Amino acid sequence: MGLTILFGLFALGIFMGVPVAYTIGIAAVATFAYEGLPVLIAFQRIESGISVFSLLAIPFFIFAGELMLHGGIAARLVHLASSAVGWMRGGLGQVNVFASMLFGGISGSAVADVSALGSLLIPVMKEKGYSADYAVNVTVTSSIAGIMIPPSHNMILYVVAAGGGMSVSKLFMAGIVPGVLMCVGLGIAARWIAIRKNFPTEKFEGWKIVLLSAVYALPGLFTAVIIVGGALSGIFTVTESGAIGAIYAILVTVIVYRSLSLKAFWTAVINAVRTTAMVMVLVACASAFGYLLAYYSVPEQLTALLYFVSDNPIVILLVLNLMLLLLGMIMDMAALILICTPIFLPVVVGLGMDPIQFGVLMMMNLGLGLCTPPVGACLFVGCAIGDVPIQTAVKTIWPFYIAILIALALVTFVPAVSMTLPNMIG
Amino acid sequence: MSKLRDVQIKLDRVLSVVSNTIQFISGICLVVIVGTFAWLVYGRYILNSTPTWVEQLALILVVVITFLSSAVGLKERTHLSVDILPYMLPQKLRSLLFMVIDLMLIWFGYMMMTKSYDLAVFNWTTEIPLLDIPLGVRSIPLIISGFLIILFCFNNFLRNLLSFLTGEEPEDEDVIVNPLTEAELGEKS
Repeated sequence: MGLTILFGLFALGIFMGVPVAYTIGIAAVATFAYEGLPVLIAFQRIESGISVFSLLAIPFFIFAGELMLHGGIAARLVHLASSAVGWMRGGLGQVNVFASMLFGGISGSAVADVSALGSLLIPVMKEKGYSADYAVNVTVTSSIAGIMIPPSHNMILYVVAAGGGMSVSKLFMAGIVPGVLMCVGLGIAARWIAIRKNFPTEKFEGWKIVLLSAVYALPGLFTAVIIVGGALSGIFTVTESGAIGAIYAILVTVIVYRSLSLKAFWTAVINAVRTTAMVMVLVACASAFGYLLAYYSVPEQLTALLYFVSDNPIVILLVLNLMLLLLGMIMDMAALILICTPIFLPVVVGLGMDPIQFGVLMMMNLGLGLCTPPVGACLFVGCAIGDVPIQTAVKTIWPFYIAILIALALVTFVPAVSMTLPNMIG
Repeated sequence: MSKLRDVQIKLDRVLSVVSNTIQFISGICLVVIVGTFAWLVYGRYILNSTPTWVEQLALILVVVITFLSSAVGLKERTHLSVDILPYMLPQKLRSLLFMVIDLMLIWFGYMMMTKSYDLAVFNWTTEIPLLDIPLGVRSIPLIISGFLIILFCFNNFLRNLLSFLTGEEPEDEDVIVNPLTEAELGEKS
């Protein structure tokens, strides 16, 4: 009965439109009260859930991303991408994917990616004769690179939800190849549509321009190198390298680019605070929820149920992927990472899958959920910027979905795709 | 009815000042965390003495940022939620639904305030290592957050009640319907 209350209230709250973090909190606290467990413990879990050192990296990553957003780095990256790949058929589609890959390495957030690059590229694409739905679709789907390519705060959430003990640096490395593969797939899909619809090309401005725009973009791109490199080399912890990354971002935008005013700085601070609070309160409430999941042995029950359905690993992985996809369509990514990881992870570990590989699988799968109706943060933001109704965008988005699903299948069934790089660092 | 509206508008103004103040405090907390971490790295590699209090302080400041700003998020409706049902309902029923949500949140705020107070009292005699302050201090942001949730959601409740009684959309209806899009577009502009 307690479990029914927990999941029933959770589902009801989500359906009613209660903020997701508080839905989780309300369901957990009510279940504590129903079971006669001390409600004090629920709030003790809520408080201690975010008092975790590795989580301190999250505000730093978000802050560094915001600083880059307000400090003019996005425009420089678009210029670099444009000079490098704009000459192809439907060039701005390729520019969009390539820029997402570069920017994703800095911002670490898909929604930030859509709002930064979308507002730069979608209007230009529309002006040059690309259809609005194409412009929106390519921007929205390529934004998943922000989650896959390190640094990514969602990966830290996964490591924390998995109970720590896993190396964040290894997960960062594991995301790179799948992220690039996915972008290659999206690039092919974008090109295929561009050829069919005869979208324009940009003039190739020569290698000198490519080199120059790379030089301009380099100081910004170096933020990612500092964060990932600092953590990988062991010079800093992930949290420290996040802080150094944020400080470097301030220095670059103030001293090198000279594009960060005091007002823009404060806007970045306040936006970072807002996003941090949104993510961390989710982590906090999910911690109380997670306590109950363990109390009711939900992971064990699900494992037993799945093995009852089939003992074929391929079938179980397909079922898990499908569940994540369906949940991702209606729910926020961070909440799902926090709730699904402790439930699903024991199942896949039982199948012999590396938790790091599953982390990458989960990022890509839930990332796709950000681009699907009825609830997809990236899709909403992209459609709003492109002034395209969601139903119009969704009608022509399927080639991009297929590209992502192929990449997802590779991540699921070919461990080497995600595990080669992390294995190389030991 | 007009009296109720006057009360709601006045409350709204007061709470706007409160939420702006909290945003400011949270912003300062973030800047302090980044600054102290820079000091930590400087201390370790340049001064050869690692300031050990930095991480403990940062953990407390993150609790402050999280719980104070997330309460403000309820006022400004910046939290993620699934708005399919509210979209589908006619205005009066939607106001009613929002009133129910506000009441649920007020209950959660009340529980957070009172139980975190008990937790603070319980932990007051234990000290946080390296900082030498009571462990119960960590629960204070939750007590304040619970109180703020009650305040902000009561204000939202009044607004939705007025909307229910008059049949008019609340003034910030567009923000309610699609909070994320609005927030992101706000950022963009």
